[in-house]
Amino acid sequence: MIRFARDMMRVLRTPCREHVALFCREHDAPLSRGEAFGLRVHIVYCGGCRRFREHLLHMRLLGHTLAQLAENEPGLPADVRERLNARVASASKKN
Amino acid sequence: MVTDTDHPNRSTAEAASIAVSSSDSREVAAQRWIAEHGDVLWKFALARTRSKDAAEDIVQDTVLAAMQGFASFKGGSSERTWLLGIAAHKIADHFRRVRRTKSPATPAISPDATCMCATCRGMFTEKGMWACVASKWPDMKLSETEKAEQAEALRACIDALPPGQAEAVWLRDILGIPAGEVCKAMDLTDTNLWSRTHRARVALRSCLETKFGLRKDKRR
Repeated sequence: MIRFARDMMRVLRTPCREHVALFCREHDAPLSRGEAFGLRVHIVYCGGCRRFREHLLHMRLLGHTLAQLAENEPGLPADVRERLNARVASASKKN
Repeated sequence: MVTDTDHPNRSTAEAASIAVSSSDSREVAAQRWIAEHGDVLWKFALARTRSKDAAEDIVQDTVLAAMQGFASFKGGSSERTWLLGIAAHKIADHFRRVRRTKSPATPAISPDATCMCATCRGMFTEKGMWACVASKWPDMKLSETEKAEQAEALRACIDALPPGQAEAVWLRDILGIPAGEVCKAMDLTDTNLWSRTHRARVALRSCLETKFGLRKDKRR
């Protein structure tokens, strides 16, 4: 409980630049409960951070679309596969 | 959000896989990588470089480097992620070479710095509060064509990121590989990865605002 309150207060006292870093970090690692709650409270009254978070979510969705587009591309062409296998064979002979 | 804790049994499964892999000769292992992971490596390299020749070179260099480093693969990440990590380094090297030969008139969109970088300095006041009024972006309830157009804009913005940042953000945000695996594959600490992805996302946001025609320099 003390840690929760301490983390929350630390987040609420820091400027928006630090909140942006936390919003980004949230995508890579879970924040502590206090940090996460502090951020949720902050975005209630900070339009800039709220918008930034929306933009991050928007970029995530675009990332999924981009992943689908990349996934729909054809795979390794047969001629490239052959050349790669030949190159691997010659490299292992050299060693 | 995919996290490392989503794969609690991976280490056991990988340990078995490594034991099998270790018994393979390097050539057999390399041929297996080409067969099993060739498509993924090719799509990754092609999506980043958009050149079939460059993609072929990258996949080839990745497989040859993996053959050399086969003994050092300790199974901290899946075999596919390990290969993608090697490919990410090769792609970053490719772009460093390309940028060295290009004129300096095409700078990367975000300089290599902490969050006091030029991109952030434009966003915040000296006290770290918002300086620019962020614009509302187009709604995500778009047609498939519009979504594809916006995704292509994102791809163009990723292309403009510094090498290293672009690969980290591609592995994390596009391929959705857990952060812990990206760290192991790219040989980064957690903090290094957070720093790279933070700078990359801030820069991508600014770049997309410009692409969507929403960039404002309005001061609060």
